[in-house]
Amino acid sequence: MHIPERGTERYVGHMFQTLDNGGPKTVIKRQDVQARLMQIGEADILVGIPSYNNAHSIGHVVRAVQAGLAKYFPDKKTILVNSDGGSTDGTIDVVHQTTIDDFKSILVAHRFESFSKIAIPYHGLPGKGSAFRTIFEIAGALNVKACAVVDSDLRSITPEWIELLIKPIIGDGYDYVAPLYHRHKYDGTITNSIVYPLTRTLYGKDVRQPIGGDFGFSGRLAGFYLTKEVWESDVARYGIDIWMTTTAIANNFRICQAFLGAKIHDAKDPGADLSAMLYQVVGATFDLMEEYPQTWKHIASTQAVPVFGFTYAVGLEPVNVNIQRMLEKFRLGAHELGPIWENILSRDTIDFLTGLADTPKEDFHMPDSIWVDIIYSFALAAHRKVIHKEHLLKSLTPLYIGRTASFVIETWEASGSEVEEKINKLCEEYWRSKRSFSERWQ
Amino acid sequence: MNFIQRIIIEPFERCYEGFLTFLPNLLTFIALLIVGIVLGSILRLIFLKIFRAIHLDTAAERIGVFEMLVRRGIRSSLSAFVARFIGWIVILTFAVIALQALKILTVENLLDRFFLYLPSVFTAAVILVFGYIFSNFFGRAALIASVNAGIRRAGMVGRMVKLVVFIVSATMAMEQLGIGRDTVLIAFAIVFGGIVLALAIAFGFGGRDIARDYLQRNVDREREQDKDLGDHIDPL
Repeated sequence: MHIPERGTERYVGHMFQTLDNGGPKTVIKRQDVQARLMQIGEADILVGIPSYNNAHSIGHVVRAVQAGLAKYFPDKKTILVNSDGGSTDGTIDVVHQTTIDDFKSILVAHRFESFSKIAIPYHGLPGKGSAFRTIFEIAGALNVKACAVVDSDLRSITPEWIELLIKPIIGDGYDYVAPLYHRHKYDGTITNSIVYPLTRTLYGKDVRQPIGGDFGFSGRLAGFYLTKEVWESDVARYGIDIWMTTTAIANNFRICQAFLGAKIHDAKDPGADLSAMLYQVVGATFDLMEEYPQTWKHIASTQAVPVFGFTYAVGLEPVNVNIQRMLEKFRLGAHELGPIWENILSRDTIDFLTGLADTPKEDFHMPDSIWVDIIYSFALAAHRKVIHKEHLLKSLTPLYIGRTASFVIETWEASGSEVEEKINKLCEEYWRSKRSFSERWQ
Repeated sequence: MNFIQRIIIEPFERCYEGFLTFLPNLLTFIALLIVGIVLGSILRLIFLKIFRAIHLDTAAERIGVFEMLVRRGIRSSLSAFVARFIGWIVILTFAVIALQALKILTVENLLDRFFLYLPSVFTAAVILVFGYIFSNFFGRAALIASVNAGIRRAGMVGRMVKLVVFIVSATMAMEQLGIGRDTVLIAFAIVFGGIVLALAIAFGFGGRDIARDYLQRNVDREREQDKDLGDHIDPL
């Protein structure tokens, strides 16, 4: 194991990475971490778990990861890294204390010896992206061949997830494995209405869950991520998922998907601000458009992405939605934010939204064409810096809530496959408007 | 005869001599003023052509300056606006030089005082401009945050924040100009202190029950809201 000095170049996986001289922002410079990494030396597989106050759920995730590594990669040297955001509920203690005592119960005949654990608080801006950065750094320092990251609040994770996220990298030479889940039709609304259609339309890859949160990637790609100076931006927060997926696609890394079954996790932190989440994810998506215009402007069709894993139907937990509250928020936005939207949207769209605000719930409908026009107009406004970026993207929240309310009303009786069909139609609308959007992007 | 000479003719002669002495200054004043107006107009046209040649308006439109000007009630293009501004600066400069050429003591004193006061005016203007920009920025941020938090009187919150920030900057600008230096500051402190005290008394004594009900309703609503948007739907 080699921990390089800052300001030098080092070999990570299969590529060189330059370390900046901006001070010890990286956690692997800490003496205790260095000692632990020295002790481990090198590893073949790394599984990272970002966490923040997940003491009640992380134990299950750690057990599933350990079981998966023992069952499917018994001959590999493996490591579990918990990158924690300063939990106060003993999350790190739970990670240290959790282990599988009875391997026979998970059908593993031999005891699994080459497994290590590191649980450390990460440095940098508080957020998922900073936690991932620490995981990438440790992966680089241990020169791992394959990595996976899984959320710490998952309740549906099984040992098979680890196989599905790692095997395509070790066995088939892929660099990036995006997850594929069965989700409730009202789950993942930012994914379904913005991020998935945009990724599919702009970059031409049909990655159904580009911000799923559970990914597999090669050591080479982890090293490539570390060469990017994005750790003070939205990428350090919720923007990390779309950044990882888009960076892999736009830089021609080999990508695939793995079917993981159902995604069931703990309730989101009630304090988590929806508009901040939307701002970080959409902000990172728009920033990536700025970075790769020569890539997305020339994409003219969508390519299917290979899927690993046995696809099966799963039962999903019901989701309660308060449509009335959503409509109230949209109407409040339409009433108060009109002058801001006038700088971003066309007159026709503004007129439509003004009319929609007065429409009763039964007739409330935001067509795909309007929604696509809104997203492309916001992307152009961000590109032209019409108003401050945070104001711009946070003013999108009532529109997103209105669109979600419209989607829920329209698909109230629809089955999962009908909803998928509707999302496909939305993607076609994004395609239809792409040329004009591309021409307006100077 | 001597009386007429002393009372009528001599004052007229002195006045005439004074006028003859002043005439070159007056002519210089008029000439400088004309030169200033002509030069200002020529420079305005030259700069207008230069700005159009470098496509300043296109760049302004792209980065949103054009929209900003329109929102501030300036209907002309950025090129025309800046060129006209330069023209007026030139005319104003020549007007000041022309006034000094008159060599009138009172005017010279006034100009001296004006030039001594100018740095304060400039600083106050800069404070006001930045105050206006910041008040718009924070007012808009408060408006958007309030809308996203579902506060019904979001518009009023935004306007209040905008007003407060602008009043703070206006107070600073007036202090810089030396207008009622302490009075403005004390008045500002009294008004804001008064508002806060009034609210505290109203909520603390007069409206204890109302305040409790209001807070309870808000807490309940937030809990309900968290359930609706946080507990069930995962947007990612």
